[in-house]
Amino acid sequence: MSEPASDKPQEPVVLLAQVTKFYRKGAQEVRALDGIDLRIEPPGMVAIVGPSGSGKSSLLHMIGAMDRPTGGEIVVANRRLAALGDADLTAFRRQTVGFVFQTFNLIPNLTALENVMLPMEFNGVDKRERGRRALVLLERVGLRARATHRPGELSGGEQQRVAIARALANDPPLVLADEPTGNLDSKTGQLIYELLEEIARERTVIVVTHAEPLAQRAKRVIHIQDGRLVQ
Amino acid sequence: MLLLGLRNVFRSKTRLAVAVLLLALPVFLLLVLQAILVAVETHTETLKHNVDNSLQLRARGSMGHVNMEGNETILPQRALKIARGVAGVAGVEHYLLAMTPTEGHNFAMIVGVNPGESRRLESHGEAGNPRIIAGRALTEADRGQRVAVIGQGVARWARITPENLAVATLTLDLKRTHPVIFALERPPATLKIAGIYASGYVFGDLQLFVPLYTFREIYGVPEGISWLFVRAVSADHLPEVEAALRRDLGGVADIIAPIAAAEFERTTTRAVRRFAAIGTALAAALMMIVVFFVTLINVRERTREIGTLKALGASDTGVAASFLAEALVLAALGAAAGAVVFAVVGSLLEGQLFGIAVSPFLPAQYKDALRGALAPAAGLGPSGVAWFLLATAFAACAGSAWGLRQVVKLSPVEAIRHE
Repeated sequence: MSEPASDKPQEPVVLLAQVTKFYRKGAQEVRALDGIDLRIEPPGMVAIVGPSGSGKSSLLHMIGAMDRPTGGEIVVANRRLAALGDADLTAFRRQTVGFVFQTFNLIPNLTALENVMLPMEFNGVDKRERGRRALVLLERVGLRARATHRPGELSGGEQQRVAIARALANDPPLVLADEPTGNLDSKTGQLIYELLEEIARERTVIVVTHAEPLAQRAKRVIHIQDGRLVQ
Repeated sequence: MLLLGLRNVFRSKTRLAVAVLLLALPVFLLLVLQAILVAVETHTETLKHNVDNSLQLRARGSMGHVNMEGNETILPQRALKIARGVAGVAGVEHYLLAMTPTEGHNFAMIVGVNPGESRRLESHGEAGNPRIIAGRALTEADRGQRVAVIGQGVARWARITPENLAVATLTLDLKRTHPVIFALERPPATLKIAGIYASGYVFGDLQLFVPLYTFREIYGVPEGISWLFVRAVSADHLPEVEAALRRDLGGVADIIAPIAAAEFERTTTRAVRRFAAIGTALAAALMMIVVFFVTLINVRERTREIGTLKALGASDTGVAASFLAEALVLAALGAAAGAVVFAVVGSLLEGQLFGIAVSPFLPAQYKDALRGALAPAAGLGPSGVAWFLLATAFAACAGSAWGLRQVVKLSPVEAIRHE
């Protein structure tokens, strides 16, 4: 007879221990992250909130292997990022995390479908399979009918939904969203949050946001100020 | 990623058009220079083996005309054998010359020539065969026969026309004199006229060519040579051939070496080669500069996009490859545009260039030949095309190298944060 799942200690999808990120701005040393300890278990949505310049985006970039910390240890999906070389970090980004950006960052001369197919192309997925999966993902975000449209022909909300579909392309266990509603009106933002909430039922979604009301919908809210977590 | 790079070429139509035009210009210049270089090399190769490689030998201090006052000394027959034995000699032609007085023109020149050899004209040895305008040239069958080919000046004096050529004869009276021509106690000789030629200049048309042995018989010159033309294998062989002839025949012969022509050939080729090399380097540098700036602008403008691609898991080399593909396609389009312009206006430019700029500096005998050979459209062979494609690819790779380095160096987070 197996043990009930709730009694089993859960593996964290993100584990940070004393993570620091310092950089120089002229003669001044800026402490973007200063001794961050963090443990996030899957699944669910986690919100990171804090004022501008508090280090929340830096934290997200560290977790997503977009940047290397000055010190400390980061483990994501059981992988120690410090131990990975550049090529392995690239593979990690395409297989383990999906990014959603504030400004959507879709490739303007590719259609919605092609944008969603792109991460799969990097991951070596066969072209036919890429197309099939991309259509399924666009269906999921309600944009199948807009598959052949280019970003310039889509509204902000539609573009962000394409970006979310793109983030899910390689079925990553972790989705990182940096101010995903920052460029959207509140109603559209609400829809995006609902979509992220739905996605967070099956994987971990970490959302960086200024918007406290939206953050309250997350299962956990992490406050950060001056590069430190605030309890 | 390569496909993405190819599609990126057409993202900004205006930029593409400007870049293609800017690339087309140096490509066009490069093609013109290559064509000129190929044409000059081809032509100078011909010059090396032909007309400008001949030395002229005459008896010392004499014009070598058998009946000309004070100029009747001719070369000994052995000069022919000696000249043929010199290393670097491609061929030897020998002539016998005499003068005959004519009404209106003072005198005409009688030339004994081996049928089939060049009908060289006095003072214009490089001119080669003048054009036959009626009848025929001398042939092997005429050897020893009383037959002649005459210039149109002689024909006019003798009232021979194309219409009466079939029955035309001309009698040489060897006893007739002139202040510079002395009489020879030889019987007159009547020659059947086989053809009339036009040389393009007055004195050239006042000559009469007979088979060499017919000349010997008429003028009673069993051996000896008036003029000996010794053709070197190439202009590069001229100095050694001249030295050997001066050593072996300098005591009896004046040797006129076409140093000017050879030097012209050498310096022209060298100058054109340098000009083409510098021009090609400049054109390639211009192409590189255009590709450099276009790539740099693309990288600057698309920095966030580069960051996005890296965030999505594209490798540094993959992203760089897309920019390289873009640069290669851009250079190829520019090259194609330049090639089209070259094909369309190349010949027009050639006409302008050689009609106005270069022709005045070319000796008359080379001008037309060079101009014809230098037509750019005809000048680019398969190796030229291969070279051109390689140069284009090189310009694209070298021009985009700095931009590609920036692409590889960009960290994803720096790129994403780029404003």
